Amino acid sequence: MRISKKIKVLFPIAVAFSIVGCVQQPQALYNYGDYSDSYYANKKNMSDESTLKLQQSMEQAIEKAGESISGRVPPGMYANLGYMYLKSGNPNGAISNFKKEKSVYPESARFMDRIIKKVELVEGKLK
Amino acid sequence: MINMKLFKIAIFVLITLLISGCAQKHITKADAYPNMYEELPRSILALPPMNESSDAQAKDYYMTTVEVPLALSGYYVFPVEMVSDIMKQEGVYDTEELYKMPLGKFYEYFGADAVLYTRIKKWDVSYMVLASSLTVSIEAEIVSTKTSQQLWRHTGTVTVDLGGGDTGNGIAGLIAKVVIAAVNTASADYVKYAHVANNRLLSTIPAGPYHEMYLKDQGIELGNQRGYR
Repeated sequence: MRISKKIKVLFPIAVAFSIVGCVQQPQALYNYGDYSDSYYANKKNMSDESTLKLQQSMEQAIEKAGESISGRVPPGMYANLGYMYLKSGNPNGAISNFKKEKSVYPESARFMDRIIKKVELVEGKLK
Repeated sequence: MINMKLFKIAIFVLITLLISGCAQKHITKADAYPNMYEELPRSILALPPMNESSDAQAKDYYMTTVEVPLALSGYYVFPVEMVSDIMKQEGVYDTEELYKMPLGKFYEYFGADAVLYTRIKKWDVSYMVLASSLTVSIEAEIVSTKTSQQLWRHTGTVTVDLGGGDTGNGIAGLIAKVVIAAVNTASADYVKYAHVANNRLLSTIPAGPYHEMYLKDQGIELGNQRGYR
């Protein structure tokens, strides 16, 4: 009797928890994290700090890509990060991200190939 | 007698008008955007918006709201910031110039199947004595880079009342309202509403190849897109 009473009390709680659990599960096709907000913040007030925050939000969106319906890194995110690396003087990091963009999204191949070529050309001249 | 006949005709016309008026609200995505389902673009290049509003910064701010909803509707979206910078490096500074470019160029350079043009029609706060409101109005179209055909077009407006809630009656209530309106207006975050406008706008786009509704949403009704807030 005692046990069944406990179950009666616990059962609704368990149901409630499982519903909450469902709600918390990823619903979106991609996980953008706070990319959108930090992109806007960076546009509104461009500083070293807001730029770093934007880069971190990109890195996090890539890292946590698994927490989404598709499990894929959002379109353009590797390219965005690569472009940030390029601007901060890290051409190798840039190229490797441009290549990743191409491998996840073949639609970007033409653009990425063009950019990679450009970066390599500039780097070649510098050496 | 003649009057009765006229009356009957008038009623008939009225009913026909009512029915056709209703029917227009039940347009499906396939009816509205047949070219989209015919061409099935996979990738979209979102160009910097044309700013027709009075706010000079609207363009920069709006740009940050396009990438995410477009990608979430299932398309490959080219990195917006990078594209805009590269266009500048290639010597295209004005959006007007960009909008006059032959569409084939966008396929040649980027490999984009389609281009998204956006015009910011309105991006402002209107001040009133007791309340103020904020309006973000966007007009957008997607055009094929291969056939130059328009694949999709839509207009979205979001108006938000910044007046604040009910503050009670009397003079004190009125003063409170004015103060709230002033404070809300000063801190009005347009981008938040640009996001709302965009989500409504872009939700009418047929699903792209990365979306689970791809090719399955032809029968979905667009619903009444007008009159929302």
